[in-house]
Amino acid sequence: MIVSFLGKIGQIFLNGVHSALVVCVLIMDTLNWLFLQPLLGRGLRWRSAIEHFVEYGFRSIPIVGLISLLVGIIMGMQSAYTLQQWGATIFMANLVGISALRELAPLMSAILITGRSGSAITAEIGTMKVSEEVDALMVMGLNPVKFLVVPKFIGMVIAVPCVTVLSMAIMIAGGFIVAVGILGIDFWAYFDQTANALVSKDLFSGIVKSIFFGLTICWVGIYRGFQVEGSAESVGKMTTSSVVTSIFTIIVVDLIWTALFYFTE
Amino acid sequence: MMNNNNSEYVIEVENLIVQYGTRRVLDNISFKVKKGEIFVILGGSGCGKSTLLRTLVGLIRPHSGKILMFGKDVTTIRVQEQIKLLKRIGMCFQNSALFNSMTVGENVALPLKEHTHLADSTIDIMTQIKLDLVGLGGCSNLYPSQLSGGMKKRAGIARAMALDPEIIFYDEPSSGLDPIVAAGLDHLIRKMQNTFNLTSVVVTHDLESVQIIADRVCLLHAGKIVAIGDLKEMELNSNSYLRQFFTRTPNPEENQSTSAILDSLEDM
Ligand SMILES: Nc1ncnc2c1ncn2[C@@H]1O[C@H](COP(=O)(O)OP(=O)(O)O)[C@@H](O)[C@H]1O
Ligand SMILES: [Mg+2]
Repeated sequence: MIVSFLGKIGQIFLNGVHSALVVCVLIMDTLNWLFLQPLLGRGLRWRSAIEHFVEYGFRSIPIVGLISLLVGIIMGMQSAYTLQQWGATIFMANLVGISALRELAPLMSAILITGRSGSAITAEIGTMKVSEEVDALMVMGLNPVKFLVVPKFIGMVIAVPCVTVLSMAIMIAGGFIVAVGILGIDFWAYFDQTANALVSKDLFSGIVKSIFFGLTICWVGIYRGFQVEGSAESVGKMTTSSVVTSIFTIIVVDLIWTALFYFTE
Repeated sequence: MMNNNNSEYVIEVENLIVQYGTRRVLDNISFKVKKGEIFVILGGSGCGKSTLLRTLVGLIRPHSGKILMFGKDVTTIRVQEQIKLLKRIGMCFQNSALFNSMTVGENVALPLKEHTHLADSTIDIMTQIKLDLVGLGGCSNLYPSQLSGGMKKRAGIARAMALDPEIIFYDEPSSGLDPIVAAGLDHLIRKMQNTFNLTSVVVTHDLESVQIIADRVCLLHAGKIVAIGDLKEMELNSNSYLRQFFTRTPNPEENQSTSAILDSLEDM
């Protein structure tokens, strides 16, 4: 009983170490084909990278925008509810602004893009593995990391911060709607309050987080994609697993950065 | 003496062992492929034919053994050398493995775009020539999902031929196709070999296409080569598995168990 339990734990630990090693190799390979090989004259697939940026960033604007607006409104009402008791509703500008910049916009954008594009990355690479397209690339002497990974990587790492900044603005606008439209606070008073509440460090911390979220979504998606073996069923499984792993990792990364920013205040 | 022999063979496999984990799929296999011949690898489903091809082209690392291609050992080759070598070979996968996000024309053009410095207009012309060669002249702008099984295989051949390779590998080119389309592919493989003096390695379990295309045959069974030689030598060989394979005789014990089930169903 105990032995088999310990064995299980050991197994999980070894699997974890193995995954970490594989991801490290993948990261090294990506960086190699992103920076080193282009310098040696082996080119970058810019067109493909731009297409991926449009897919991950531009096309996710409607859904991220809508959800950010709703979250902004919700945040506005929730903070107004608390602050009314002290007659300090104007401070909802601080609450909405700071939580949007530092936390909610990066997190919501990352989670939505995981669902939209992280899953798509895994499904695409997984399907290509199952149908031997990845093998076909290799037999042609073409590197799968250069062809499949680097363009997605560039697209994702640029797209997530861009979408996040947009999401921040829209969330704050959601707060405006509640404050000005429902609570009848003067527009310029609320504007000044928001502007005074936010410092550049808030924006900075949100953007730093979002860059790391982008890295996470991309590498988890790709890693899970290459883990697909055999059949279409495996593609489905790995796609699900990609979303779960990605969201979990995003939250952990979020916690680490939040702690770092908190203790270095 | 040895050296003279070497130039005649483009592929030499010596004592090749391939394992998935601890499961040995190919056990001590040795054979040689002559320049310009069609070498057929025959064997039942799951006997490791695809594994053998994938090992030859470097997709699988063997457990041990040597694979010399144009005199270079594929198993210990450096990356840059390997890319040079890969440009001299082409591979047609069992399920074609066309890039589904690209048109047929783009599929064929990809190796040319990536490995040559030709102008786009030249690449277009060369792509068209390769597609005409396999009889898909009008399909350049179609996507793989719009092609039939036989057309996909042809497109796969066109793509494998893009860089004018010296060796071409086919994994079950005629499986899953009706007899007429399959025969068409057999003739295409013959034509390729005649026209370009291509060395071809063909994996199949289709006895009829063996009769049409094979210069030499090897029969795989349980991870080993049970017979190797030209068609006449195969006819004369008395190995029991070979006879069973060529006369399409089922395994007796499998017959017993299935017929027992069928009998019991009949009783009900
Ligand atoms: N990636 C793999 N991992 C583990 N076993 C495999 C893998 N690919 C193939 N096999 C096993 O190796 C054997 C040979 O497979 P394969 O070479 O595809 O056979 P064939 O092409 O002759 O039908 C099969 O029994 C199969 O189950
Ligand atoms: Mg096979």
